[in-house]
Amino acid sequence: MASSRDDFIIAIRSAFLKKSTQQKFSLLTLVFISIFIILLSSLDFKAVRYLKAGLSELVYRSSFIVSIPENFIKNSYQNAMEYSTFFNRYQKNKDELENFKSNFVSNEIIRYENQELKVLIDDYISSSNKILAKIIVDHDSPFLKSIIINKGSKDDIKIGTNIYDQSYLVGRVIEVNYKTSRVLLLSDLNSNVPVTIAPQNIQAIVTGTGDNYGQIKYIRSGLAEELIDESIVYTSGTGAIFKSGVPIGKLRSNSIDPSNRYNVEFYSDFTQLKYVYAEIITQIEIPSIDQNIFMTEEKIDEFSEAKLKILEDELKIIEETNIKFMEENENLITEINQLNNKISILNNKIFSQKQKINQFNIDTQELEFLKLNLEYGHKCRKSFLNTDGFNLGTEGYKSCVLNKGRIDG
Amino acid sequence: MASLKTKKSFSKLYTWLPIILLFVSVLNEFDFNYLNLEYFSFNFPFILIFFFTLKDFKHFDYLFVFFAGLLNDTVIGLPLGISSLSYTLICIATAYIRNITIRPNPIKDWFYFLFVITLINSLNYTILTLFFSYEIILTSYLVNTTFTFLLYIIFLTIFKYYMKGVND
Repeated sequence: MASSRDDFIIAIRSAFLKKSTQQKFSLLTLVFISIFIILLSSLDFKAVRYLKAGLSELVYRSSFIVSIPENFIKNSYQNAMEYSTFFNRYQKNKDELENFKSNFVSNEIIRYENQELKVLIDDYISSSNKILAKIIVDHDSPFLKSIIINKGSKDDIKIGTNIYDQSYLVGRVIEVNYKTSRVLLLSDLNSNVPVTIAPQNIQAIVTGTGDNYGQIKYIRSGLAEELIDESIVYTSGTGAIFKSGVPIGKLRSNSIDPSNRYNVEFYSDFTQLKYVYAEIITQIEIPSIDQNIFMTEEKIDEFSEAKLKILEDELKIIEETNIKFMEENENLITEINQLNNKISILNNKIFSQKQKINQFNIDTQELEFLKLNLEYGHKCRKSFLNTDGFNLGTEGYKSCVLNKGRIDG
Repeated sequence: MASLKTKKSFSKLYTWLPIILLFVSVLNEFDFNYLNLEYFSFNFPFILIFFFTLKDFKHFDYLFVFFAGLLNDTVIGLPLGISSLSYTLICIATAYIRNITIRPNPIKDWFYFLFVITLINSLNYTILTLFFSYEIILTSYLVNTTFTFLLYIIFLTIFKYYMKGVND
């Protein structure tokens, strides 16, 4: 027994401490170094932060280069899948673009109105500048949903910077290096976004699931019943982590999990991201009206001019739409006339065919009468011997012949 | 003469292949995730480290394994040192089994591998949830452990061919 325990201790000691000829460090040293680094990471020491930032710069670039072959295979696979639905998506996108063009004008008006109102309440103006960033590392890890972009503190990216795919929110920056940053996607388990659900105007928190959809959490009891399919989910701006009014996704009913009736289907497909926009926000304080009234007036003029321009654009679009409608109306009138003509021709045809059918029926009856007259006429005709009979051409004679010579009554 | 030199450098590169593969795999993290197979992921570095440290492969330096762990943490976004600790613990486990084994058996190694990766993943999960307040799906860990265990035997066959090539 003692010998067996000794063997175990010797084996363990040997495993921890013995270095073979090729090894420069014993495993015990490496374990201690690892634990030391973990401890420093958890305490968030400045030195470790800098070490990590430096290491990240190097590693992300290397990872980008090393991933080229895999990315090539991945892209080829995705392209092949995309080509199969290419035309249908093109048609759908074309229609959507037309709608968006008209909606865009209205949005611009609202935006300018919003700025105008902010000036009036002596607030600040947030001027945002979206910069395009390329995704250099996109490993869809099952444990952490994050991407690395090629913009960092050099480009004014900060921790918390909102990241977009077109106008849709995809996540926020959680780690900034000099020329790269890590973005935590909305689908990550650790992501929590305060949202508003429209049109019910319900406040909630959307958390990631580690999958390509989100879950609604922390909703007031009773309000969950008001949720409906296809409701729009956008950021509420609560907590000032995310900008308000940014679309995230829409509600989709979930039949599998009864405790969570609705999931949030993100507008953006996080697995297909290649480029994203990072929003650099700078807040400009508006000087008070008393101090600089002329400047404010100038700004108001500026807004009014911009608004006027937008309104002119809108008018132009409306005029163009009207012309299109008028053209369509004329075409429809011509079509209606043509159809009316066709209807009258068809009515004439029907009338003549009906006449023919009537004539045919009369002829058939006449023929039947003549046939029966030949056979039973003598029984119905009034004569010396047949005093009950009828005179020729009378209704009684006709009915007698049709009754095959039977005289009723 | 030139041909001999080329052959020599190729042979050198061939003997360093496992460690190169380890660095490529941690930087690239290839696991076929883009196929969007919901329940499929595996940890290739675990297989690689377990096999080559078990065989005490001459160019498979523990220090390189440690650095590979640091790179893996940076790429995945985990706190620095977690993967290094995991990889070093695999090295310890293989050093232990090598010391106590007289007659190696691949099936026994396979099941020992399952025990080791389960233990290490549990330790990872504990550290990340307790000390770093990470939210992690336990199912993902279980799926990852299962597929890593199942694929070990396939990679074992490939690596055996490689070892045969190196020894020849």
